[in-house]
Amino acid sequence: MSEYLIRKAKPSDIPFLADVVIASEKAMSDRLSFTTLFNKPEEEVKQLIIQMFEEEVDGCELSLSSFIVTEFEGQPISGSGAWIEGFNGNMPSGILKSNLISYTFGKESIEYLKTKSHIVKDVMIDREPMTLQLEYFHIKNEHLGKGLDDLLMKRIEENALAEYPELKKVQCQIFKNSVFSIKILLRHGFRIVGSYKSDNDDIFDYLPFNVKLLMEKEF
Amino acid sequence: MQKEEIVNRLTPVFRKVFSDNSLVVTDELSALDVENWDSLSHMLLISEVETEFAIKFKLKDLNKMANVGDMIEIIRSKFQ
Repeated sequence: MSEYLIRKAKPSDIPFLADVVIASEKAMSDRLSFTTLFNKPEEEVKQLIIQMFEEEVDGCELSLSSFIVTEFEGQPISGSGAWIEGFNGNMPSGILKSNLISYTFGKESIEYLKTKSHIVKDVMIDREPMTLQLEYFHIKNEHLGKGLDDLLMKRIEENALAEYPELKKVQCQIFKNSVFSIKILLRHGFRIVGSYKSDNDDIFDYLPFNVKLLMEKEF
Repeated sequence: MQKEEIVNRLTPVFRKVFSDNSLVVTDELSALDVENWDSLSHMLLISEVETEFAIKFKLKDLNKMANVGDMIEIIRSKFQ
């Protein structure tokens, strides 16, 4: 394990973090909501995600400050995002993310979203204020099964508790088809506390699955 | 542009986006007060407001909008 260096993300990691976001969003499928809901090709989406990270807005899943990165032989091999919802008077992360998308993607994409938003609304889950929110957790395939997920989860929790010792719980929203990620979370003491299903079959054309789970762990 | 005119033009936009014909636009109104005001509808709201007033918000403007009063002030500033 000593060959792994876990550290806070820095601006030079942003292109890698864009890959982390894309891989995590796909969640064992080929559907990327940033492309399907906003009518953009994946290559352009990656550049837009980079732009959103470069804005350095704190307090949401597209904040550079939310991420830690693992380096192996000088290269980033994992990225993990987590933030305390509404901490330090921040707006709800959903609003911050929406502001970033509205500003970055442009009016045509939002117009397209208007025609699709009804399809995905049933799997939208509110985030609970002052809880640690875990979003985007990706380790390159060749480094799976080496216990890195344990180290990362521990580091994420330590960082959050150092920032806010009164923190009561950590939550994660995850599509039900992400079976390996769910197993990891269960192994780390998470439990499933909610299930949000869409009965609109069109959802499979836009999102990885039609059921999203809310998982949490109390400290 | 006067605040009253902004409110009068915002009201139908809010009612349309949140599908609520009784919604009253006040300075204090925020995402916490409107059941349908989530991350998806927020994007639609911003787009509709920009279209209504033919403006484009800066990101720092968007991130300062804690409530409708903030939005009104930012819209007013665009016409000064």
